[in-house]
Amino acid sequence: MDFVGKNTRSKKIGRIFLIGFMIIVAIGQLFPLIWLFDFSLAKSGDLFASDLLIIPDPPQWVNYVTAFVDGKVLKYLFNSIIVNVITVVATVMISLLVAFACTRMKWKLSKMTMGILLLGMMIPIHATLLPNFILYSKMNLTDSIFALLIPYIAFALPQGIFIMSSFLEGIPKALEEAAVMDGCGIYRIIFQIIFPMMKPAMITISIMTFLNSWNEFTMAMTYLESDKYRTLPFSVLNFAGQYASNYAVQFAVMVLTALPALVVFILLNEQITKGITVGAVKG
Amino acid sequence: MHKLFSNKWIILSLIAPAIILFAFAILVPIIMSGYYGMTEYAGMGEPIFTGMKNYKRLFFNDPTFWKSLRNALLLGLGFVFIQHPICMIFAILVDKVSGKWEKFFRAAYFIPNVISVAVIASMWVYIFNYDFGLINNVLKWIGLENLQAEWLNPDHALGSVLFVLIWHGFGWGMLIYYAGVKGIDQELYEAAAIDGATGLRTYQYITLPLMKPVIRVNVTLAIISALKQMETVYLLTNGGPGDTTQFLANYLYLKAFRSYEYGYGNAISVIFVIVCILATVILNKIFKSTEEY
Repeated sequence: MDFVGKNTRSKKIGRIFLIGFMIIVAIGQLFPLIWLFDFSLAKSGDLFASDLLIIPDPPQWVNYVTAFVDGKVLKYLFNSIIVNVITVVATVMISLLVAFACTRMKWKLSKMTMGILLLGMMIPIHATLLPNFILYSKMNLTDSIFALLIPYIAFALPQGIFIMSSFLEGIPKALEEAAVMDGCGIYRIIFQIIFPMMKPAMITISIMTFLNSWNEFTMAMTYLESDKYRTLPFSVLNFAGQYASNYAVQFAVMVLTALPALVVFILLNEQITKGITVGAVKG
Repeated sequence: MHKLFSNKWIILSLIAPAIILFAFAILVPIIMSGYYGMTEYAGMGEPIFTGMKNYKRLFFNDPTFWKSLRNALLLGLGFVFIQHPICMIFAILVDKVSGKWEKFFRAAYFIPNVISVAVIASMWVYIFNYDFGLINNVLKWIGLENLQAEWLNPDHALGSVLFVLIWHGFGWGMLIYYAGVKGIDQELYEAAAIDGATGLRTYQYITLPLMKPVIRVNVTLAIISALKQMETVYLLTNGGPGDTTQFLANYLYLKAFRSYEYGYGNAISVIFVIVCILATVILNKIFKSTEEY
């Protein structure tokens, strides 16, 4: 009895040490972000005092007002939301259609078609920057929302198709066969029977696609000429020159740009981590 | 019923959107690169056909190209030998800590990943700043002032870039390995405990071997993502100073959109695609041949 008590006590102490250690690592890892937030509320000159962190007195919330207005955060955020919602919805739907066609329908080229589409995973996005730029210029697509949507969806598809098909394999074919007996068409099978069962796959694909396209800026930088469809990263990118020496305001615009995704992550972190781990296991 | 599942028109309608997008965004551009890569073209006028000239220049007369590949290789090695072991250790620790803390750490470590590269890279430019940057301030604070440095100068820039990339991707790698750890059957641990295995031995004989497939996939992904690196480098150093931190994607961008060498830029694109495909195929081959034991 005594022995067991000792054992659990030393286990408890070990656990406290472990948690302590992991907290220190987390603080170290997140410290740059804490530093960024801290000095975004300071005056620009405070940065030169070489303190690690300061207590801004009083907090310069005005930095955020400047950042929000001059960084055009609202406009870019709105663009980001539109572009991302369309990208995510289209990726999920098209992946589902292809996965169904290639794993459930019976045709000769199904394996090959799938293989070619999955090949897209190996292609580096940036290798298409220049030819796509030439192509979009010739087709007058530069500066249109399609210049973003087409490559975003196309490069999200391979992964989407991959995850979708590995989930589809887990769904018994008997369901569809029964549905056909009842006179269901293929489209109805996909949308009314398969679709509701693919929720975990859709969540995973949505998260992966969202994380990628939300943060993307090289294609946006290359294909867009005006502000019309520019996305959130441009708040930071356009700001640097304008307020070159006003560090605090620059920090504020970075915090604002990071905030939407961070808030979404904190609110949905259970689903997001689950989605990614599911994707990892299936992938 | 068979008829319904092999109806060609229905199949075509299901795959058409994907095929069209794939052709338009991936296939056509690559073919275009193949063509323009053999020309001299500045975006205006007609491209002039020059055959393999661009490729000869790239392979035999362009040290930056080789430096970009070397940097990608270094980054890949950094991912595999520095980042991944740390990721794996923390994946095991996060799993071990269990309960409320498990959820907390899993989320906390992942936070940098949800923050846009634009923010991350711009932030690190300030962190590396000589006069007021966080790194030099921390060094001063712990009394190691003599280690203060210009972190983005030619001597340190590559190391700094690797550090940022390893830092930024840590949470993602941790989560993937965590998924691998979670996928291991608990009964195996129990059985091992009955057999007298404890602590580190359990990890050595159960966790690691069973994680092999996860490790394999992760290592492949790490090397490929090192090859594809662009955004962080673009904002942090833009390949400089000189070309010390150059990567293929960034180099191609500079050639295309700063010096308007469309022909040469397209030649780099073609080689870039080939390098990525080759790397994937070779890594798969290597891992296949070690799979047996």
